[in-house]
Amino acid sequence: MKIKTLEEILKKKSSKTEFAILTNLENGDSEIYLPGTSPKGEFSKYADEIENLFKSKKNGVIENSEIFVETYIKPIKVIIVGAVHIAQYLVDFAKSLNFEISIIDPRGYFASEQRFPEIKVINKWPKEAFEEIEINSSTALIALTHDPKIDDPALQYALKNKFYYIGALGSKKTHENRCQRLAEAGFSNDEINSIHGPIGIKLGGKSAPEIALSIIAQLVSQTYKK
Amino acid sequence: MKNSFDEKILDEAQDWINANQKVVLATVIQTWGSSPRQVGSRMIVNEKGDFSGSVSGGCVESAVVSECLSLIKDNKPCKKIEFKVSNESAWEVGLACGGEIAVYIEQIH
Repeated sequence: MKIKTLEEILKKKSSKTEFAILTNLENGDSEIYLPGTSPKGEFSKYADEIENLFKSKKNGVIENSEIFVETYIKPIKVIIVGAVHIAQYLVDFAKSLNFEISIIDPRGYFASEQRFPEIKVINKWPKEAFEEIEINSSTALIALTHDPKIDDPALQYALKNKFYYIGALGSKKTHENRCQRLAEAGFSNDEINSIHGPIGIKLGGKSAPEIALSIIAQLVSQTYKK
Repeated sequence: MKNSFDEKILDEAQDWINANQKVVLATVIQTWGSSPRQVGSRMIVNEKGDFSGSVSGGCVESAVVSECLSLIKDNKPCKKIEFKVSNESAWEVGLACGGEIAVYIEQIH
């Protein structure tokens, strides 16, 4: 691989562009493929196979050839509502998993840069904050404030926009009340039941990093069911 | 969905290159049977034999490192290596899990 190709790969990754790396295993030539374009030069005769692998988001060697295809898709986008203690640990886990994180919290004393260095923190109410976030089918919501004023509008937005994972922190009682409010707001049972509440898988832990771990574990497992 | 949980090995490769190191990139390109790392898993090796990332669960990394060092020494661009349980060197580098993998190594130049 040429250094130039590596630099281009990293540039595409940081700009969240979807692409594939094509490698000729015989001579070491490699090239970047963008969906919707025709593969160049020696890769052009495998255009159909490359497109199919890309569409199925798979990596592999094309049958009866020496061409290896590796696809890169957009990272999972995780929106956290509530710049609370648990969120600080979620950010730590999410970094090694390459999730793209945004945090929403209208409370200025929580949403400080000093508490969340290098993370997009939006110090606004959810309704305005969502205007600044581009969403897609790989977007997840983690609501952590257990304050209906802040969490509910975010949950409603996530349900309407069909986020693939929606979780909300709070006790069983808190969650029952939340479901009640969502029903009154006109959401169906199926929609309400799609919310993971109380959030996280059962690990038994009660500390902030343990709760963050249980949330991230649930998020990863739901990502593979997508 | 693999790429959502990407391991940032390529970012590290660039850091090493920026530090004027020679870097060989190793990628799992095919697997048969049970193998610990999926296709697309990566590892990088420099001329000193330092490595980062993985192509198996620790079973064949040492062999991959020495193959990468030979590639640098012989100044070859790339090579495909297959690891099977039935390899003669199975005791040392075979996959204990019974799988087979093909690893492609290439110099970044």
